[in-house]
Amino acid sequence: MKINRRSVLQGAAGATWLASWPQLAFGQSRAETLRYVTGNTINTLDTTMPGATRESFGLSMNVYDRLFSFGRKKFGEYWTFDPTVIRGELAKGYTMSPDGLKVTIHLRPDATWHDGTPVTAEDIKWSLDRMVLAKSLAPPQMSTGSITSADQFRIVDPQTLEMTLPKPDRLGLSNLCVCYAIMINSKLAKQHATADDPWAQEWLKTNTAASGAYIIESYKAGESVILRRNEKWVGSADGKLPDFKRIILQTVPEPATRANLIERGDADLSIDLAASDMPTMEQSSKAKVASIPQNNGFTHITMNTTMKPFDNVKVRQAVAAALPYDDMFKAAIFGRGAKLYDGSWKGTPTSSGFPQAMPFKTDVAKAKALLAEAGMPNGFNTTFAISAGQAATAEPMAALVKEALGKVGIQVDIQKKPDAEFNTMESDKKLPFYTDGATAWLPATYYYFYLYFTRDQRWNFASWKNTDIEDLSADARFQTDAAKYETECKKMIEIFAEQVPLVLLWQPNQDAVMAKSIDGYTYQFYRQADFRDLKRV
Amino acid sequence: MSVLSGIARRVGRRLLSSIPALLGVVVVTFVLMRVLPGDPAVFFASGPSAGKEEIEQIRHQMGLDRPIPIQLARYLADVATGNLGHSLTTGQPVTQDMERRLPASLELTFTALVIALLLSVPLGVAAALRPGSPVDHAVRMLCTLGVCVPTFVSGLLLIYVFYYLLGWAPDPTARLDIFASTPPDITGFYLVDFAMTGDWSGWWAAFTQLLLPAISMALFVLAPLARMTRASMLAVLGSDFIRTAQSVGLSRRRVVITYALRNALLPVLTITGIVFSTMLGANVLVEKVFSWPGVASYALDALLASDYAPVQAFVLLMATIFVLVNVLIDVLYGIADPRVSIE
Repeated sequence: MKINRRSVLQGAAGATWLASWPQLAFGQSRAETLRYVTGNTINTLDTTMPGATRESFGLSMNVYDRLFSFGRKKFGEYWTFDPTVIRGELAKGYTMSPDGLKVTIHLRPDATWHDGTPVTAEDIKWSLDRMVLAKSLAPPQMSTGSITSADQFRIVDPQTLEMTLPKPDRLGLSNLCVCYAIMINSKLAKQHATADDPWAQEWLKTNTAASGAYIIESYKAGESVILRRNEKWVGSADGKLPDFKRIILQTVPEPATRANLIERGDADLSIDLAASDMPTMEQSSKAKVASIPQNNGFTHITMNTTMKPFDNVKVRQAVAAALPYDDMFKAAIFGRGAKLYDGSWKGTPTSSGFPQAMPFKTDVAKAKALLAEAGMPNGFNTTFAISAGQAATAEPMAALVKEALGKVGIQVDIQKKPDAEFNTMESDKKLPFYTDGATAWLPATYYYFYLYFTRDQRWNFASWKNTDIEDLSADARFQTDAAKYETECKKMIEIFAEQVPLVLLWQPNQDAVMAKSIDGYTYQFYRQADFRDLKRV
Repeated sequence: MSVLSGIARRVGRRLLSSIPALLGVVVVTFVLMRVLPGDPAVFFASGPSAGKEEIEQIRHQMGLDRPIPIQLARYLADVATGNLGHSLTTGQPVTQDMERRLPASLELTFTALVIALLLSVPLGVAAALRPGSPVDHAVRMLCTLGVCVPTFVSGLLLIYVFYYLLGWAPDPTARLDIFASTPPDITGFYLVDFAMTGDWSGWWAAFTQLLLPAISMALFVLAPLARMTRASMLAVLGSDFIRTAQSVGLSRRRVVITYALRNALLPVLTITGIVFSTMLGANVLVEKVFSWPGVASYALDALLASDYAPVQAFVLLMATIFVLVNVLIDVLYGIADPRVSIE
């Protein structure tokens, strides 16, 4: 083939033609459309199904209504959810009896389902019953709010329902705000129920019977979902409709491609870009980054308290003193997060909040002394497990752990495992020493301790058994005396800091990257974008 | 007539003899998936409140609480009736997922193969005509480069240059611009469907979307095809009948194209079959980079999540395609070279 001027010109002409194409496809409604790109997939439209991905939770919050919703508060120029405020969503509001045992739920008279039929008290009763009776992930969650039986829900009149609690559970009402507490159009769902499947679980996996802010226009599992605004939605905080008329959720597996799309202005929002891309994104002329700490979670290094040598509290304290906190914070998450170490308190914490910064600092001399006290002046050998899915942050962390512990004589062998294997071993309590992350939908101090530090169950990462913690968390749960609750929470944190079943490291930021024109981003407890709050300015 | 019935007989025999192989593939994948560490039930019951009970429930739902031989027997019975199980990653029946995703993969692979053949055969011929010349070296370098650069690197490079810097290509997400409407589902091949409905602007949109991933795949398989063309062309060009043809004064074009190339294409045909099958399975990286909704990226996601059914179905599908492609190549071979058909 000869290259001459003619062939070059022909090529250039062809390329220009190619270039002129893509703009044509954009409709006039581009400004009213939000295009959201993610590396994850949506695998079910019913969040209560086992295996529902986090992306499915996010979609469901926009498509379904719950009876109530958490408020939000300002964080810099962005927002973060506020679990201390509970407002009506599909319900207009609630009244709580003085003893905290009875919640009266007032419905909105003007609320309708997506098919136009009115929302009735029967629909709500059916949805609440489904939450506790159907075999799904909802019942164990609801039980954390003492909601366990259908008898607890009663229709008072066509506009009012009543929920009774056996004890004044402080998370009873909060549980009606979480992703599992979706309100379903029972007339529609019942048409698709069968004798084997009385709660229409099979049908609701791929169909919706909802009342939320957005209606699903098309759903391609694993590829994309297109939403259109529900013009009759009444569940917002201010009575207004969401700004965007159309939402496109698209799965784009490659983080570099997602970054390109946003920088080119072809996509508007992504919350799962690579951390290493953030500095470029912050400099970008088209994109901006909302960096908000995931304040209901924590990244941790766990020591299995039932395995030698970590059953010895001195060893755990020694490891906590030997870890290179600052280096890990910089290397693993580039300092993008809130520290949960370096706390300035001693003995009793000043705040009852959790997770909060623990009084841990790198102190090699102290670590050596503690090891000697534990009878292991020369250290020991152990393995440190990380999962492949978290490798981007866990791998640099593991290397630093290995180096730092080597200095006090603890020889660490790093084991990187595929996610499924890692999860299985974690759940079977076979990992002696590892790192993982955790979040709680309902960030109450006692709830963290109940969920993560008590009982022989999957989420007790360190298999920690401490009778004081068990008693305190059980009492704090139903404690109506606010001052006493505070004291109990502080006590639990104090014991935790002394016993070190696991070392709290940090709360990584959620880095939501969006077009400069997008405003109103809120960090939500389920860690997904809430399209209802977003607008283009 | 007898030629045709001969071919039919051979095809039938080949298909029959491939059944044990397919069965073996099914059994081996089935066992392998279960031997691999990692419990899908634990992976999928990862909600904030999922405890032992929920894990057991999923295990029961998936039939994992039964002994492996019984699971295998049930699986084989299911496969025989065309039920490949349910995917937990997408929440859909596997057959439905495959039906939607296989055309995407096939369309991409076919296009890449056509591009690769259009490039590699002329390159191979050019190299063979002047062995040792700068042209030969240039072709060799191009091929080496194509093989050395992993497809995800070339893919990302192409995206960076043609989408990000120049803005010539449409955004590299999926098979069609997300704002455009998809063609009616006739064959599942967008190019064919758009052509059948006469929607040429849609066809062009799908084609431009297809171009970058297809090119990055084609670059990768350029080497085997071009090298094979060159080698077999060299062998043919050195044979007696070419010398005779030249000596009787036939035009160079006629000698090279009609006599030499036709004879040299047989081994290229064989390698094309192999390359095609490999591409279909190995294009997972390209599918990931370009968000192409194909079968390979689907299987990889499932594998990472220990989602058994899709992985098993994927391997079975690949094995079947491999068998079919080989049979097809055999038939083509028989047509191109009648000596093969003699039994």
